[in-house]
Amino acid sequence: MHKHSPILCIVPPHMLKEIATNGSETQKKMAQDTINASTILRAERLKMAEFGAVFKTAIAKAAGDGKERIVYDAKNGSSLPGTIARREGDGPSADVAINEAYDGSGVTYDLFKDVYNRNSIDGSGMRLDSTVHYQKGYDNAFWDGKQMVYGDGDENLPVSERLFNRFTIALDIIGHELTHGVTQFEAKLVYSQQPGALNESMSDVFGSLVKQYQRKQTADQADWIIGEGLLTANVNGIGIRTMKAPGTAYDDPVLGKDPQPAHMKDYVNTIGDNGGVHINSGIPNHAFYLTALELGGYAWEKAGQVWYTTLRDKLTERSNFQQCASLTYQTAGELFGAGSLEQQAVKNGWAGVGLSVDGSTTPPEPGGCLESLLRLLGAAPAR
Amino acid sequence: MDVERIKFERIGGFAGIRIAADFELGDLSEEQTRTLVDLLDNLDFAELPENLISDSTASDQFTYTITVEAEEWQHTVVTGDSPADEKMQELLDLLNRLARTKVRKH
Repeated sequence: MHKHSPILCIVPPHMLKEIATNGSETQKKMAQDTINASTILRAERLKMAEFGAVFKTAIAKAAGDGKERIVYDAKNGSSLPGTIARREGDGPSADVAINEAYDGSGVTYDLFKDVYNRNSIDGSGMRLDSTVHYQKGYDNAFWDGKQMVYGDGDENLPVSERLFNRFTIALDIIGHELTHGVTQFEAKLVYSQQPGALNESMSDVFGSLVKQYQRKQTADQADWIIGEGLLTANVNGIGIRTMKAPGTAYDDPVLGKDPQPAHMKDYVNTIGDNGGVHINSGIPNHAFYLTALELGGYAWEKAGQVWYTTLRDKLTERSNFQQCASLTYQTAGELFGAGSLEQQAVKNGWAGVGLSVDGSTTPPEPGGCLESLLRLLGAAPAR
Repeated sequence: MDVERIKFERIGGFAGIRIAADFELGDLSEEQTRTLVDLLDNLDFAELPENLISDSTASDQFTYTITVEAEEWQHTVVTGDSPADEKMQELLDLLNRLARTKVRKH
């Protein structure tokens, strides 16, 4: 225990230093003692704060709340995960990207835990690791199989040439990347062709639901835009994708036109982008949107429950769109009853994109690569 | 290696937007040409394996395809994000910027 002069305890440090230098011998001694005591106290307080954070996390885990986040800073380099910038329970950083990654992964965790009773990415409380400031001028965010990674967009270019803002700017992007982790632990949809497009679609669905959950928006109030705010004012676009009207998110001289189809008749055959995983995901995205809109209310409650249960229990590595349609229909029947309004809404949602839940509709024969390419370039009519 | 032409394509990523451009080295500035050639030399590009992508659990990463052409010779390398080599990262960054500038001009 240290003794303090009640007067000197409230004297600011710069004044104490002055007294320790210029005061009488007694004043000098008292001031120096107080400086020394304050230094020890500060160190003790710091230790207590660190211990408190660790203790708080341990208590939360014991109580069943396994949310544990770490945000790293790559400091514009390529090494992952980088330097720890914010741990679970730490206060906000002065860096907006760090806070967005921290808060965004927290809301995503909350949706999965509160609504679907899922404890983190792996269902067993896996720590949510995110790295921000990845590389320089990096226009992307990705899930590397273990963690989420975010670039700063075009921060290294003149303002007039920038197309992308930082990738933590949109909450649905954070939800999107984290959902790739969930898919990795559940259906394990391979990242190619239709299974890959379903993988992408699941990430868009739950990414959008995270945003709606945070904003407490009903299906008809939500904007259903993926990556809202990501594009700068130099781009003619509202976001990267739209689940409400796939193919209309942007149309820009540099970025080109949003290539997403909203219907099986416009399915794009391509070898690029792992077989069009970010392109054809527009079809199941739109099916979810139609289902949620017909059901009304909060999309995460019914439509989200059907999609989540299907992802967790029914889809497998090679599932295609048709199988996803049939399995979500089956799941809706199990959750809400055969012939229920919910099951009918799922059926109608898939019908809206050209797929029958019983598989009785033969999807249109997809055209060849050349035709798809020409259609993308606008040189062939949409079928 | 007397490089004449470089073809660059970046596909995938969260946005799924393709950026691609071909560069005749004769059309680039002296400094750009020198930087590109130095990077290719430092990387020993001609000896790199054609496929440098290994991680199959990753999602939303970019895929880059770089083809370097010289007289009667060409070599293509496909790589993803997080390349271990910093020189490769520099090369990708430079090609990406050049490609965007070229697309913007057209």
